[in-house]
Amino acid sequence: MGDTLSDLRTSILAQIPDAQVVVAPGSGGGHFTISVVSPVFEGKNMVQSQRLVYGAIAHLMKGDGAPVHAVDKLTTKVP
Amino acid sequence: MLSDTVRAQLEDLIKKNKVLLFMKGNKHFPQCGFSAQVIGILKETGAKFETVNVLQDPAIRDGIKEYSSWPTIPQLYVDGEFVGGCDIVKEMYASGDLQKTLGIEAKPVAAPKVTLDEGAVKAFKDADEGNGDVLRLEVSPQFQYDLYFGPKKAGDIEVKVSGLTICFDRDSASRADGIVVGWVETPDGGAFRIENPNEPARVKSLTAPELKQWMDAGKKFELFDVRTDEERRTASVATAKPLDDASSLAGIDKATPIVLMCHHGMRSRNAAEKILRDGFTQVYNLEGGIDAWSLKVDTTVPRY
Repeated sequence: MGDTLSDLRTSILAQIPDAQVVVAPGSGGGHFTISVVSPVFEGKNMVQSQRLVYGAIAHLMKGDGAPVHAVDKLTTKVP
Repeated sequence: MLSDTVRAQLEDLIKKNKVLLFMKGNKHFPQCGFSAQVIGILKETGAKFETVNVLQDPAIRDGIKEYSSWPTIPQLYVDGEFVGGCDIVKEMYASGDLQKTLGIEAKPVAAPKVTLDEGAVKAFKDADEGNGDVLRLEVSPQFQYDLYFGPKKAGDIEVKVSGLTICFDRDSASRADGIVVGWVETPDGGAFRIENPNEPARVKSLTAPELKQWMDAGKKFELFDVRTDEERRTASVATAKPLDDASSLAGIDKATPIVLMCHHGMRSRNAAEKILRDGFTQVYNLEGGIDAWSLKVDTTVPRY
């Protein structure tokens, strides 16, 4: 669990280096809530912003045995 | 990798259906909470939509994730465009943008009438951190309440009452007209008590000490014991009447509070549900039954 939390964080930061990332356990095993604040979201709509984050963590969500089963809540904000 | 066959299959599906939801399960039996939420919203909008059950085809399940560059299910497509997943659909519905995307006129929602008692007003004013967050009240379709300070959202309906502003999303507003928010002091501290006339009648819970308070306060109500005669002889509450058949309730005003009890609170709950269907509006179940009464109120009543 702890490892997945830091994997998520690291993966997001690898894509969006200037981001402030908060990852927390969500409603159950493999569920997470993620909040990302970065200027990169400026001018992007929700789908575009969330795609950036999902793109960064897609490898953690792929397949049936993926460490990340669901993201309960993903928020993206411009600082 | 997304094969050409699957890509063509997805493109065809998305092109042929104006509103298409890729989901787990189908619209009658969603098999995941996120899919169920989006189904609930689409049904509320009244829009016609089709669904694809990704659980039936792993190629589609993996394919749509890659096709949309979106790693989760459900996924909503409207007019060939990817709209979003559960979070986005929820937010767009609350702001009215989803209805616009679907080409459906968002029904106008009137600002609900809200009443706060003094205690609630004080509690809200004390809780306001002055950081720009607004007081929000959400009412779910199941009439569960969420009352919190949070950011203002697009499409919010604002209600000014007692010097406070309360924000509702459109859907909550439509379920909140006439709502009363009060503040009650309990042994465990203060708590909000919400009374909402739009809420369908349901069986309410009553604890044994609360029942004792009602008795001591001389509150008007009817107490029925649904257990067998033999059980009632073993242990009972003196003022409880047997509930033998429908005639026991004849002549009682439907607005009179009715309390039902049994041994542990299960049989009485079933009976309570039935009485509710008969039209009584204030139906209470004594949680824990006579056993809780023996333990918490009157230890001279034997347990069995």
